[in-house]
Amino acid sequence: MKVWALVVDTWREVLARYTLLGFVIVSTLFLLVLTFALNLDIVDGSLAAGSLFGKAFDLHGETPIETVVTTGESAFAAMLYGLGVFLAIFATGSQVPNLVHRGTVDLYLSRPVSRTTLLLGRFVGAITLVLANLAFLCGGVFVVISLKTGVWNPRLLLAGGIIALVFLSYLGFMYLIGVLSGSTPLSIMLPYAIYIIAMPLAAHKHIAAAMDSRLAASVVHGLYWLLPKSGELGRDVVQLVMGKGEPSLMAMGTTLAFGAGCLAVAVAVFQRKSY
Amino acid sequence: MIRVDEVGKQFRSPRRRVQALDGVSFSVHSGEVFGLLGANGAGKTTLVKILLGLTRPSTGRVEVRSIDPRRPRARRRVGYLPEGHRFPGYLPGDAAMRLFGRLAGMDEATITRRTPELLDLVGLHERGTDRISRYSKGMTQRLGLACALLDNPEVLFLDEPTDGVDPVGRRHIRDVLLAARERGTTIFINSHLLSEVERTCDRVAILHQGRLLREASVEDLTRPTHRFRIRLAEGQHAPAACLDFFRAAATNGHIDVEVPDLDTLNRMLDGLRGERLLIAEVTAQRAALEDVFIELVGEERTP
Repeated sequence: MKVWALVVDTWREVLARYTLLGFVIVSTLFLLVLTFALNLDIVDGSLAAGSLFGKAFDLHGETPIETVVTTGESAFAAMLYGLGVFLAIFATGSQVPNLVHRGTVDLYLSRPVSRTTLLLGRFVGAITLVLANLAFLCGGVFVVISLKTGVWNPRLLLAGGIIALVFLSYLGFMYLIGVLSGSTPLSIMLPYAIYIIAMPLAAHKHIAAAMDSRLAASVVHGLYWLLPKSGELGRDVVQLVMGKGEPSLMAMGTTLAFGAGCLAVAVAVFQRKSY
Repeated sequence: MIRVDEVGKQFRSPRRRVQALDGVSFSVHSGEVFGLLGANGAGKTTLVKILLGLTRPSTGRVEVRSIDPRRPRARRRVGYLPEGHRFPGYLPGDAAMRLFGRLAGMDEATITRRTPELLDLVGLHERGTDRISRYSKGMTQRLGLACALLDNPEVLFLDEPTDGVDPVGRRHIRDVLLAARERGTTIFINSHLLSEVERTCDRVAILHQGRLLREASVEDLTRPTHRFRIRLAEGQHAPAACLDFFRAAATNGHIDVEVPDLDTLNRMLDGLRGERLLIAEVTAQRAALEDVFIELVGEERTP
């Protein structure tokens, strides 16, 4: 009941602050643009002609429709990967800072509810919120493309799962920053910074090889293993949608471990902190 | 019901250390209305937060109903109205009560029954569905009181409960608290509005710069003085010579006089009766809590 109350509270908060509305509007715009910008002309199971934003595809003869669709979907999946994580971080960045604000935290903590339940209840609320939005965004892209082409590629939906996993990792990090600083700007900016920093670390071996000192190379390797694998998982999303490979378990595991570790530290700090 | 034993709290920052509380000890009995008095920065709010498990004491220990308040179960049937509270402005008043009722572990039926009752009690029954962001400060304070009373608490902690509330609202809050006391609720009030505390509390403790200066019943603190108020019959006035002789002052139909002993008082009354004046009432004046507080804090400030 207490966790349910916190989940409901999370939803009411994002509804009242128009965060959810913003999320839905951006996602809907993306879907509408996709719906009207993508035009395909399919003859006998092959793509005879097609255009995106009015620009014709260069098909080099007849191309199987499945190939074209999965290639297109993989491009959209890459966009969704960036857009989905970006929107999700933005939508949930103020959650913990709002909770730990002086005058608000007193009201919550003075109830017979453990601090762990309180923080994890809000975490569950954020997960339900973002999963619902990702389902709308990824599911919408899947439905629009499938209806337009007649090619149903469920791997696109699996890509939504990877996006959710990456977001979960950043959510754990946001909770840690929120508990430590109580600042909404920091809770949004730092995950973006980590997201961007982690991207090129997919090539950590090359970067480290170019370093002058062993210490710097070790730092690069250390950051690679510590931080979420934003770059690798972005590439895996594309590969998965195209049916050219499975996502790396190592990348998923270490990304989840980062989020879980951050969340565990956030809970431990929240437990001990005086308000 | 509440035990505070040698509690100290030190706040540390890179630049300085602040000793917010220093070896504070007292206890509050079941069913009592206890007031914690002190100037701003005396450590009152810190102590209340320690009693609710929001802040850890640096030294000493506290117990609420014999349980460490950091344990969630210690906060069952405990109401709290914090100072400077910030209710979620996005929620309507009744939804906020539902949220905090659920967090208190109350069942839905009880929350549904208690919410309108309490909103009515604090005079918010017509505004329960409005968003809290549209409430005035006094209305938010009354909502806070309703939330604190939601779980039919055994212990009620109120930090500056009448802060920002107009005189009518204060009277209303005082009536609600007195009704809670009648039901046996132990009430812990933190305030610097001494007249409010004097009217409401059975016992008080005075904090100054983190240390406990005095703990006593209101009755004991506001001891009788040698000041008396004499009320004459309607339309009668004491002669100026009599007032001057006893160094008395006539204000608003009363005569206020300070005498060294009862014999002097009776001589004055004889003088008034000798002038054929009718005496309607003679009242011994007690020291106001405010006077006692200023006296104690003043003594502490004097080196």
